[in-house]
Amino acid sequence: ETPSKPKGVSGSGRRNFIVTGLQDIDKCRQQLHDITVPLEVFEYIDQGRNPQLYTKECLERALAKNEQVKGKIDTMKKFKSLLIQELSKVFPEDMAKYRSIRGEDHPPS
Amino acid sequence: MENFTALFGAQADPPPPPAALGFGSGKPPPPPPPPAGGGPSTAPPPTATSAPTGAEKSTAGGGPFYLMRELPGSTELTGSTNLITHYNLEQAYNKFCGKKVKEKLSNFLPDLPGMIDLPGSHDNSSLRSLIEKPPILGGSFNPITGTMLSGFRLHTGPLPEQCRLMHIQPPKKKNKHKHKQSRTQDPVPPETPSDSDHKKKKKKKEEDPERKRKKKEKKKKKNRHSPDHPGMGSSQASSSSSLR
Repeated sequence: ETPSKPKGVSGSGRRNFIVTGLQDIDKCRQQLHDITVPLEVFEYIDQGRNPQLYTKECLERALAKNEQVKGKIDTMKKFKSLLIQELSKVFPEDMAKYRSIRGEDHPPS
Repeated sequence: MENFTALFGAQADPPPPPAALGFGSGKPPPPPPPPAGGGPSTAPPPTATSAPTGAEKSTAGGGPFYLMRELPGSTELTGSTNLITHYNLEQAYNKFCGKKVKEKLSNFLPDLPGMIDLPGSHDNSSLRSLIEKPPILGGSFNPITGTMLSGFRLHTGPLPEQCRLMHIQPPKKKNKHKHKQSRTQDPVPPETPSDSDHKKKKKKKEEDPERKRKKKEKKKKKNRHSPDHPGMGSSQASSSSSLR
């Protein structure tokens, strides 16, 4: 809340208004104990930039990394299936044994 | 030699066919080398088909396949899932990444006064300096009492000697060409706005009545000497006639 400035008040009134305003801000400190702020946001504020840009960039980076890791997982899965396929052509009995072992422990994903 | 068989397990079965060794159909395996001591014929080295157990599967040489290990536990949450959807951040993503976010800090805090878009390093107002050198706290905010307020009041009279020299600027090291330009500028350094306004207003108030008087006197003098003025003209005529 931003209280309106007192108009037509004498100098002493204005100064004590500032003091009471600072007292109110000091009281707000207790409400902020649970809030944690990443230090990187301060870099944005110190440069005069909107801190929402930090949130935006965090989300964009998270999405980009998510896509990157998903790509790796999908590629590895494809590689695994191709490898089993080709190995089964060359070593059919061994691969049948391998599949039976893997099948007991872990169902095919 | 008896220990040799014990290392690799008992071999009651005949040697396995070559296909089971993983070399595929076709060429038979080479004959096993004779034992060094020339002792009784022992079973050939065990193959991958020696009875595997659950416990031996994880060891390097004991399982059916070399280096075959148990798979790591599967987790539901991996990088292959859309984490933004998983953590219900779609609205936040659309809000921040869908629309254009304004660059300046004043767009985020429009009610904050002052030049907040400037870097904090310019006027020592950076948050980083607050973290690195936190101010000494402990005092509480108390209202200003009457005796303290007297320090804020302005009193009439001359400035004390300590403050008189504050108006004078130190001599500037400029060239003669620039010296002429600097004359046209106001040599008095900028003071705090509240003090300067008050003093200027005071000065103006004091000077204004004096100026008015001076202006009035000048006007009177002008009017006396001008021929258009009827009163003065007749008096001049009368005076001039008297002199004759």
